Amino acid sequence: MSSTSSNQMGQLVADKHVRYILMAEKKKESFESVVMDHLRMNGAYWGLTTLDLLDKLGTVSEDEVVSWIMTCQHESGGFAGNVGHDPHILYTLSAVQILALFDKINILDVGKVSSYVAGLQNKDGSFSGDMWGEIDTRFSYIAICCLSILKTLDKINVEKAVDYIVSCKNLDGGFGCTPGAESHAGQIFCCVGALALTGSLHRVDKDLLGWWLCERQGKSGGLNGRPEKLPDVCYSWWVLSSLIMIDRVHWIDKEKLVKFILDCQDLDNGGISDRPDDAVDIFHTYFGVAGLSLLEYPGVKAIDPAYALPVDVVNRIIFTK
Amino acid sequence: MEQGSSSEEDCFGLLNQFHHVLQSDPLIDEVGFIHPSQFTLLDKEDGLSNQNKPLPYNGTSRNFWNQDHKLGISTDILIQLCKDAKHVFLAALEEYKSHGNACNESQIMNIESEVMKHSQAVLLLSSDFGTAWNARKLILSKTDQLSAFTEELRLSGLILSNSPKSEPTWSHRRWIIKMISRRFSTPQEIITKESKLVESIGERSKMNYRAWYHRCWLVSYMAIGQVLHELNKSKRWAALHVTDSSCFHYRRRLMLRILESVNVKGSNAYDKTEAHKIWMEELDWNKELVERYVGREALWLHRRFLSLNWIMYFACNHSSETGLSIITNEEVAIFIDNEIHLLESSMIVPDTKFEDFQAQALYAAVYMLWLPKNIPELWRMLEEKLGTEKLKCVLSTIAQERPLFLQHLVNV
Ligand SMILES: [Zn+2]
Repeated sequence: MSSTSSNQMGQLVADKHVRYILMAEKKKESFESVVMDHLRMNGAYWGLTTLDLLDKLGTVSEDEVVSWIMTCQHESGGFAGNVGHDPHILYTLSAVQILALFDKINILDVGKVSSYVAGLQNKDGSFSGDMWGEIDTRFSYIAICCLSILKTLDKINVEKAVDYIVSCKNLDGGFGCTPGAESHAGQIFCCVGALALTGSLHRVDKDLLGWWLCERQGKSGGLNGRPEKLPDVCYSWWVLSSLIMIDRVHWIDKEKLVKFILDCQDLDNGGISDRPDDAVDIFHTYFGVAGLSLLEYPGVKAIDPAYALPVDVVNRIIFTK
Repeated sequence: MEQGSSSEEDCFGLLNQFHHVLQSDPLIDEVGFIHPSQFTLLDKEDGLSNQNKPLPYNGTSRNFWNQDHKLGISTDILIQLCKDAKHVFLAALEEYKSHGNACNESQIMNIESEVMKHSQAVLLLSSDFGTAWNARKLILSKTDQLSAFTEELRLSGLILSNSPKSEPTWSHRRWIIKMISRRFSTPQEIITKESKLVESIGERSKMNYRAWYHRCWLVSYMAIGQVLHELNKSKRWAALHVTDSSCFHYRRRLMLRILESVNVKGSNAYDKTEAHKIWMEELDWNKELVERYVGREALWLHRRFLSLNWIMYFACNHSSETGLSIITNEEVAIFIDNEIHLLESSMIVPDTKFEDFQAQALYAAVYMLWLPKNIPELWRMLEEKLGTEKLKCVLSTIAQERPLFLQHLVNV
């Protein structure tokens, strides 16, 4: 992207986003924040990863965050979305990712967390989200990503896990949450991510999937998650990271996508929304900044499309020990 | 948790009021959060048909509206009510988990009913609160009464009326159905009712992935007769909601299920000629819709699926029997002629309603090239039948909208 075009389309107001994230943690008086507090662990991951991508992770108290995370861990080894809640694989990955951001994986009982995750694998290779048994390819990705960070992939049957994910492939090249379920960009990210982390991308029909994914880009430059849906910043991340992993990102107009994401910023108070002029939230702020990172926007650290963590953090994981 | 102290009652006055409303009308079938200014409006509407006394006021403002089994909760009290409900629920759950084993049976039942009562309140306000759903699962898994499970279906249906996209709520429903089918057999009425529920929720909540996923999930519980029935039943809805790709995916799921049945023997087996007929009908119907509703992506994607399967499954099977290739297959040749005809009529862009027709031209052009992407032998047939001029036209239509993607196509 040339500097002239980025001037025309406006800039990333990084400082304002940092302030927005730091404020969001303190504002607890809206109904939205009350109904979100069961997934505070996810919120913390979105906020803190965004801060790290903007090189501002130092502004939060590491000790405070880390000790709060550890109070959310259960006997079973899994993590809850908040103190006093039940554990779920969704929050377990977020907890592990946040600890990775702070280079604090070593405070974990790795064996215990890994056993919790591995214990959720079913006979057919699929994963349940918790002891109650709902199956979803999202949970396959989460399990594989989590164990990759902990370097304990050998605790699960990887071959069966991969076979199950491949069985969720549709005729359009995309993936759904279980076999026969509709293709969905979020599920595709999970399946492609899991296949990338296990070195199984050859099981994807890259041209066919790339075809479906690049059809998600609309006239505005933003990407949607399914046919006929409106473009949305969060889907922009899921489609974009999938396209990068299967090496087909040159099939879409990246410059238009950058412009779309920048147009979703609240230029006064910070934060990014799902599409221009909507209300901002922390979820879309993370996906917006992460999307710009994949698009190599200046001033944003590079993010790894499969781990969904900054590349320097991933390198630290891979090259230590 | 201590009960009955006067300060507790003051603190949780709102919550008690909420429980009172829920207890006094166990048949509530719809819930929503509404601004208090709407209360008066609702009363006026209601006053025409109903002279019932409205619920008591709380000071100057009203908190709940409840008539004809519809419940409105004032947005003014949501934050406080939700905080209180969560607080009381988590306390009850902690008591249940820590003292559950040390108590006698009637005490346990008491604590259980507290957990059920407060989890219900929490979930009506915050449907994604997984721990509350889990607590209900824990208690329900101890019961052997079918009525407890059907009541649970009612509650989760009520919650979906306000939160149609709530994934934990849909997931809880699947858990209940699995429990019912494990313990009492799967009543076909439940499957039928679930299907209806998804349709009515899909009406209010467009392109709801979670709702339609639930309906797809039900397919594995269906016998072939019910699959055919569902295919028939969902047709009208699909024709009225042509942008809802999820509904068309549901039809694809059903149709693939029919194909599976062609390959089996026994009571679930299905005749291939009949399956062929279903495919042709769907293709014809889809063509009608494509021509009537111009520029609809969901319809063209559905056509990709139908055509690919028709060629691969119904035409190619013939050619493998006779040892002929696709290229020399008469049926495929006629099929492609018809598709080219549809392509040509779709690529005419009139001046009025420009955008829809432009989209139609793009979808038609991409569709035509998508088929040989999946069946490479079709390339030569298509090139011959289209000729250089028309092929150029197809490519330039794509180039206008997706130039970067076209570069890849041309390279192929
Ligand atoms: Zn979004």
